[in-house]
Order: sequence, then structure tokens, then C-alpha cells
Amino acid sequence: MSAREVAVAVGERLAEAERAGLNATLAWSEAALLAEADRVDALPEPGPLHALPVAIKDNIVTTGLPTTCGSRILAGYRSPFDATVVDRLHAAGAMVACKTNLDEFAMGSSTEHSAYGRVRHPMDPSRVPGGSSGGSAALVASGAVPMALGSETGGSVRQPASFCGVVGVKPTYGRVSRYGLVAFGSSLDCVSVFARTVGDAARVLRVIAGPDPRDATTLAAPPIAPLRSGATLSGTTIGVPREYFPGDLDRGVRAGCDAALARMRELGATIVEVSLPHSSLAVPTYYIIAPAEAAANLARFDGARYGTRAPAAGDVRALYRATRGAGFGAEVRRRILVGTYVLSAGYYDAYYGHAQAARRRIAGDFSSAFAAGVDLLFAPTTPTTAFKAGEKTGDPVSMYLADVFVCPASLAGLPAMSLPIGRSEGLPVGGQLIAPALAEARMLAAAAALESVLDATGEVR
Amino acid sequence: MSVSRADVERVAALAELAVAPGDLAELTAQMDRIVGFVAQLSALGDLSIGAAEPMGPRETPLRDDIVVPADLVHGPPELAPEFVDGFFVVPKLGAMEEP
Amino acid sequence: MTWETVIGLEVHVQLGTRSKMFCGCSAGFGDPPNTNVCPVCLGLPGALPVPNAMAVRLAVRAALALDCSVQAQSVFARKNYFYPDLPKGYQISQFERPLAIRGRLLIESADRGAVAVSIQRLHIEEDAGKLLHDRIPGKTAIDLNRAGIPLAEIVSGPDLRSPAEARAYLTALKQILVYAGVSDCSMEKGSLRVDGNISVRRAGETALGTKTEIKNLNSFANLERALTAERDRQQEVLERGGRVEQVTLLFSAATGEVRPTRSKEASHDYRYFDDPDLPPLVVGSRTLEQIGSELPELPSAKRARLMSSYGLGAYDAGVLVSERPIADYFEAVCREGADPKSAANWIINESGAYPEPAALAQLIGLVAGGTLSHQAAKRIYPELRDGLAPRVVAERLGLLQVRDEVALRGWVDEVIAAHPGEVARYRAGEIRLLAFLTGQVMKRSRGTADPKGAQTMLARQLEGS
Repeated sequence: MSAREVAVAVGERLAEAERAGLNATLAWSEAALLAEADRVDALPEPGPLHALPVAIKDNIVTTGLPTTCGSRILAGYRSPFDATVVDRLHAAGAMVACKTNLDEFAMGSSTEHSAYGRVRHPMDPSRVPGGSSGGSAALVASGAVPMALGSETGGSVRQPASFCGVVGVKPTYGRVSRYGLVAFGSSLDCVSVFARTVGDAARVLRVIAGPDPRDATTLAAPPIAPLRSGATLSGTTIGVPREYFPGDLDRGVRAGCDAALARMRELGATIVEVSLPHSSLAVPTYYIIAPAEAAANLARFDGARYGTRAPAAGDVRALYRATRGAGFGAEVRRRILVGTYVLSAGYYDAYYGHAQAARRRIAGDFSSAFAAGVDLLFAPTTPTTAFKAGEKTGDPVSMYLADVFVCPASLAGLPAMSLPIGRSEGLPVGGQLIAPALAEARMLAAAAALESVLDATGEVR
Repeated sequence: MSVSRADVERVAALAELAVAPGDLAELTAQMDRIVGFVAQLSALGDLSIGAAEPMGPRETPLRDDIVVPADLVHGPPELAPEFVDGFFVVPKLGAMEEP
Repeated sequence: MTWETVIGLEVHVQLGTRSKMFCGCSAGFGDPPNTNVCPVCLGLPGALPVPNAMAVRLAVRAALALDCSVQAQSVFARKNYFYPDLPKGYQISQFERPLAIRGRLLIESADRGAVAVSIQRLHIEEDAGKLLHDRIPGKTAIDLNRAGIPLAEIVSGPDLRSPAEARAYLTALKQILVYAGVSDCSMEKGSLRVDGNISVRRAGETALGTKTEIKNLNSFANLERALTAERDRQQEVLERGGRVEQVTLLFSAATGEVRPTRSKEASHDYRYFDDPDLPPLVVGSRTLEQIGSELPELPSAKRARLMSSYGLGAYDAGVLVSERPIADYFEAVCREGADPKSAANWIINESGAYPEPAALAQLIGLVAGGTLSHQAAKRIYPELRDGLAPRVVAERLGLLQVRDEVALRGWVDEVIAAHPGEVARYRAGEIRLLAFLTGQVMKRSRGTADPKGAQTMLARQLEGS
């Protein structure tokens, strides 16, 4: 198919997804798609992602389509520059398909906190697709696009990947440039990849990864090696952290993990139990560090220089307060206030100081496990399958606890990914692999091997 | 430590966020819940407080001191809600008179 | 009741880089508003900072020039507050781990002699934009050209004991930073800014009194005036039995008074935390050595050397080192063979553009050798700026000193004939009229006569008949 034909087909599928009420997209147009196709056709030779349509989470800036971050405060905002990851996709011949819906400013675990309405789970519209990258996950799961970019701060790609039954890969922190990713938790944010197969996710990740002189936190590491073919895990030791398998773990999730572990044994892996003793600190630690950084990162949204502005009656302060009070949704306001609170005078040590110390302990748990001879860790991605819309919005803390298994790897900056390992009562179950820093190739190879022997759509019990 | 209304008002002022009086009670309750949840960390005495462990590289890269054109598709006039004679425009300082 | 004044100064200097601290925009001054901007310094969503290597280099140079201990690792931190000139809603600065600490600067105090003023810290931060309040009626105009320009903040200890000492400190600080090529330190252009902290206490007390802060001083003179006014105000309050309140003040040059700013807020809660977008700033020992070797000879060392190597007095040496190009010029003139004392005199007493060192040296030599009178040299001096050689100018203007006996005799005879009254009075005993008559010979010769020779010949002739 030519790029133009792909573009037209994508447009049709996006329109269909809209008609089906998925609400996964925030911006797309036939004109924009054709412009992307023309750009591909103008390249001197086909790149590694030639004519592939990639959906982009709407907190990654693009010049071709608006960037709203799912917020009223950026309604209609046109970024004058493209994110580095978008430039790299373009250079590889890929096409930006659309901007996808998300929890506002990436703050949430269900994509129910978007100012533009919630995203529906593609298999059950009464359920959430997960979040914050719910739009990207749903769109890939629905088949409208083969791959998408999302972002993770505390699991926002792995968790919706698990809920929607697709592959979601978070690289090592610093592996992929954050230039052009609207900052939420700067020490945690990672542009991440959704795809239907491990192979596709690996291809996209290899294109977008690499140091960027515009992002001082990128690592000068050698490129991720191409995915090895060959389905074997012989010689690989898989650690299973006991803290991720509590007694009251959802039985469907447990069954899925047990089946995956059995397949891994058959592939020749050695399975050992390990302990990550500070795991229970991860969620409270995350909900101190991320909001604190977010409070500062979102201070730039004041209606002065760009974005929307509340009709101002009064002085500059009145403008700021009205713009921010009206432009940010309830979850974002809560997190800004929590973040401001934990950094404020007299509270820094008790909260932020302790959280940094806890973060070092959590990272230390992973280092110790890997140093003791474990090559990869395996665990459930989420404690349950996709929950119902409205189930957790009443109590913010219960929503936060949905991140219990994905937070720790984010805090440690480690590469981690979710792949579908089966269904439980028809809903996808996700299994998670966590690797040492910069070991994406090892992680992707193991995932591909597992993928080739798993029945990802079969009921687990 | 529990979060009071005064705390919420103080923090909202610091964050330049308007809180409608009708929302204050619910917001205070939610903040109290969240802060109470994360406060379990401060109860753990065995953690020693220290500097943040930097994620990413050990040392910051530095840029050469050369002027680089901004490479923007459009500039301040197109971005700004209000732009006059080359300036971004906001209301008078008023209560914000001196930082 | 004797009061002691305690003053500390916080100085911000713009580092002399081409581009901004965290982005590649021009750091130029005076460009049309909002033309030196990009996503980073506009604070657009998705932008990230990357530090400027030269800014770090200049800040380290400044730290070394001020005898500071440069930290191998320092950390950028976010200082969080809202203000229309601050695009991100926070300033990237340094807080708990600054670039340098524990330096000192020696000043000459009129009251106390040599004083070593401690420098508590020197750190790097970014500048804010500019607000214009009268540009658009009823509104605030924002120009972000200045946002992101590199600054070094230099904080002294509370070691100054008078407004005059504060001024001397600022003068010495500016001199050393200009010498080191760190900044042009111009208060008019805003590349040097100072805030003063001042308190008073009873003489002999060790505890510090409550201090007030005076901001936005725009000249050295106003710094001294403002501190003086505030010192007097605090003393008066305390003598009345009142208490000094910790406030921020502004100085009005028109009235000479300080008044509190309108904001009634107590100290700000900046909620500092390490900036997660910037890994630690590392200055390795080899880099430190390199930068140290880049440091030019600093003012106090240069002054001492000019005194010892060229036999200059403290005052003259001090004037010559006030600006490094002047001192360099002086030495260049001496290298061309000029007598140092004469060179110093010429340079100190003349202003404006100096001629080529060789030209001035030649001029000095022509006077020393008797070919030109000093008067004639002063007439020739302005012409040297066009690059002409002194002798050529002297010839063109007919100023070469005439020693020729016949010529001198001619002028002397003319003068004697033209001033019979003075001649008679001289011969009658008013010997001081010789100077007047010599002056007349100089006039007739249009300054070219050798004054000594003219005087001798006049005396001989007047003796004669």
C-alpha cells in the first residue's frame, strides 16, 4: 500500500472508532493524514517505519495537530515545535495518525479525568481502558492503528496495556528524549510505546530511543539491539517478587501469571522467588514525588503567554487564579495542591525528604535482586482486570492503589513492559517484565519468546 | 498531621489556584485523605533523609555558547492570548506588586 | 549611644555569554521585544533546559577571582513563585549546593583600612524577563528577551560597617569581575544589580539586629544614599524604643527616602527542590585548573606590581589599574621605551581615546630629549589619534623646539624691545619678571622656543646693557 492509501484507510478506521463512541482521539483529520502521507512520499528512501501510522498521546507536542493534554487550559493549543520523538518517527517514515485522549496532564489511572470525556474500553464500554494513556491503548487494541506512543510516570502505559490486552513498553528513564513531552513528573516521565506485538513495539522503541542534546536527562547509551528471533529462555533466570502476589490477588490475574510462568519454564527459564521488601512504600512515595514535581511543572499554565485565559476582571493574580481554577480539572487541582503542600515550608523533610529516601530503598531492592543472579522479574501488571467506569472516582486513594504493581519500576527508572497473557471472564490479563537499567533488548527478547507460546486471548482457567 | 481548611487555602494561594468557597470542604476532606495516605512514609523512622538520587546521567551535559535560531513554526504573536506592539499583555500587577 | 551598622550585599551580574543560560537564544541587549525567544525561555509545554558551558566557565572564573572554594558538584534547584516575568512559574537557580562558597574580597575602608569581606556563596541562575508598566495603559507588558540570561548571584557576609564600605565593596567587586572578563557590570544596562541588607546594633553587641532589605538600587551613589537613609531611620526607631520590622524597601532617588514595598507578605515560601531536568553540575579538577590559568592578573596584584616594577606611587598605580585596558596600555607605552612616571602622568591626565603606544612613547621621548617643549607636546597629542607620528606632526605645526642660538637671540631681542617697562623693572630688582618675559619669548616663537635656553639668553641679555 502506498502512504496515501494507508492514510485514507487510517482515516476510515478513526472515523469508525469515533462512531463507535470509543472517544479515544482528540484530534485528527483527513487533511492532516494526507499531509503526513505526502511527507513520507517525499523521503528519498523508505525508513524502518515506512508509512506506518502511529497514534500520539496528546501530551506529546506536534505542530501538525493541536496539543491539549486532555485539559481545557490548553484547548486548541498549537505547539510551534514538534517533540523529538515525533521528529524521529517522521525521519523513519512513520505517519502521525492522530492525538489520543488521556487523563488530564497524564494524571490518572483510568482516562476518566480528561476534560474531553472518558475513553471506553474497546471490549466493554462500561469499563475503563486504564490510564493515563487510555486513548492510545484503546486505539491500538481496537485495531484502528498498529502502534501508538504513550507516556509513563507511574505506570500509565503498562497499566492500560494490561487492561486492553496489548503490548506496552516503558524504556529505561533517560533512554528516550522527553523534549516535547509535556512534563508531569520530570524524574519519572518516559515516552513509551503501545503495539499489538512485541516485535512492533521493539521497532518503534529503537527508532525513538537515543540521546538528545535538547534533553539533559538522556543517557549516552549504545542503541537497543534489534530483536533476536528464536523462542527460548534457556539460561534465563526469572525472578518472581513475592510482594506482587498477595494472598488476595484477583484469581484470574493469578491464574494468568501461573500459566505464563509455566510457559516460561517450558522455554527453559529458571524461576526463582525473590523479595522486594520496600514495595509497599512505592505508591505513597510516588504520590509525593510526582505531585511535587507536577506542581512546579504546571505553574507555567497561567493564561499569560499561551493557552486559554479566563475572562479577567482584576489584576494579574486574579487572571492566574481564575484561569488555573477553571482550566484545570479536579484531579489536576488536587495533585497541584498536594504537591505544593508537601514542598511547603515545614513539610519538606517529612514528605519530600522521606519520599526521596524511600525511593532509593525501592531502587535498591531491584538492584539487589538483579545482582543476585536474576535476569528479569516477572509479575502481574495490575491487581485486577479493567474496572468499571465510576468505580474508583469517588476516592482518589483507591484510584492510586491501581498503580501498586507498576509504580515501583517507574520510581527505580527501570525498563518494564506489559504483554497480554490471557483473558479472565473475557477481559485481558497482563503480565509484566522488569529488567535492569538499559537491558531493553533482553526484556524484549524474553517477551517475544513468551508471546510466541502464549495464547493471549484464551481464558486462563 | 491532618489537613485543615486553612492549610488548603494557604496552599491554594501559593499555587495561584482559585477554590470556590463551595468546594473548600470537599477539597479539604480529599486533601486530608491523600496526605494522610502518603504520610505513612513519615512514620517510618528508619529512613534517613537525604538528597534526591538523580535519575539519568551522573553529570549534566553542557551546551556550546553559540546563538541558535529558534526554529519555531510560529512565534509569540500566534501563541499569545493578548499581544500588543511586540509584547505579551496581562493585567496590572495590583496585589502582586513586589515579588 | 553608639550604633554599629551591619551591611551585607547581594549582587547579581549577567555573565557575558553570547547565548542564554539554558537555551541557544541570543543574550543580546536592546533587541526588539520577544525576538530572542524559543520554547525553553518562553516556558512552552515540553521544553527542557540545557546549561551553557561558557556561563559555567565564567561563573567559575568569578568564583576563583573571589578566592572561593569551587564545588566539584553543585546542583540546580527550582525556586517556585508566580510573577509575570517568570515564564515557567519557577526560576532555575541553585540552593543548598551552590557552585562556590567561602570566598573573600579585600577592600579599603576609609574608617578601618584594609577589610577582608567574606563572600558566602556564588551561584548560577537564570534571569527573568522585563515588565513595562506604562507601555500599554492599564496593563502590564512583558518582554521575555531577558528571560533565561545567565546570572551569577554573589552574596557577601554581613561584614560591611558603613554605606561607604558597601560602595567600596561594590566598586571592588565590579572591578574584579570586569578584569576577569566575567561581565560588563553595567548598572545602566542592568548587568549589575544590587540589593542591600542592613541592620543596626549597639556598639559591642554580637547579636545581629533585625535587618531590612533594600532592592532595585540603580547606581553606586544611590546604594550609598539608600543605606545611609535606612541606617539613620533604624537608629531613630531604636532610639525611640521601637522595633525594626523586617521589611523590603525601595529607595526613591527623588526624595532620598526609603519606603516599604506595598506587598505585605512575610517571607516567601519558595519550596526549593532539586531540578529533576538537570543532573548535577560537575567541575573537574583539570577544568578548574584550566579556568584558573585563564584568570588575568587581578587588580590588587597588578597594582602592587606596577608600583614595584615601575616605581609608581600607590595613587597613580591605583588609577592605572582601575580598568585593565588602561593598565595594559600603560605597560605597552613603557615597553616602547617611555619613562614610566611620564607615561603615567600623560595617561592619568588625558582622557578619551589614547594614541598608539609607540606614538605616545615617542612624544614622551621628544620632550625628554628637549626636542619639544611640554606645551608643544600637549598641542601635538590630540593629532596622534589619527595615527600620525609625533615628529611629523611637530614639523607640520612648526613646533619642533628651537634651540638655535641665532633664532633664540632674535626673539629675545624682539621681546626686550617690545617690553621696555618690564625690562626696566627687572633691572631695578623685580627678578620674577623674568618668567613673564620668558613667556613672551615662548609666545613669539609660538611655543617652539626651548624655554630653558630662552630664559638663560634673556637673563644674559638683560644683564648686559
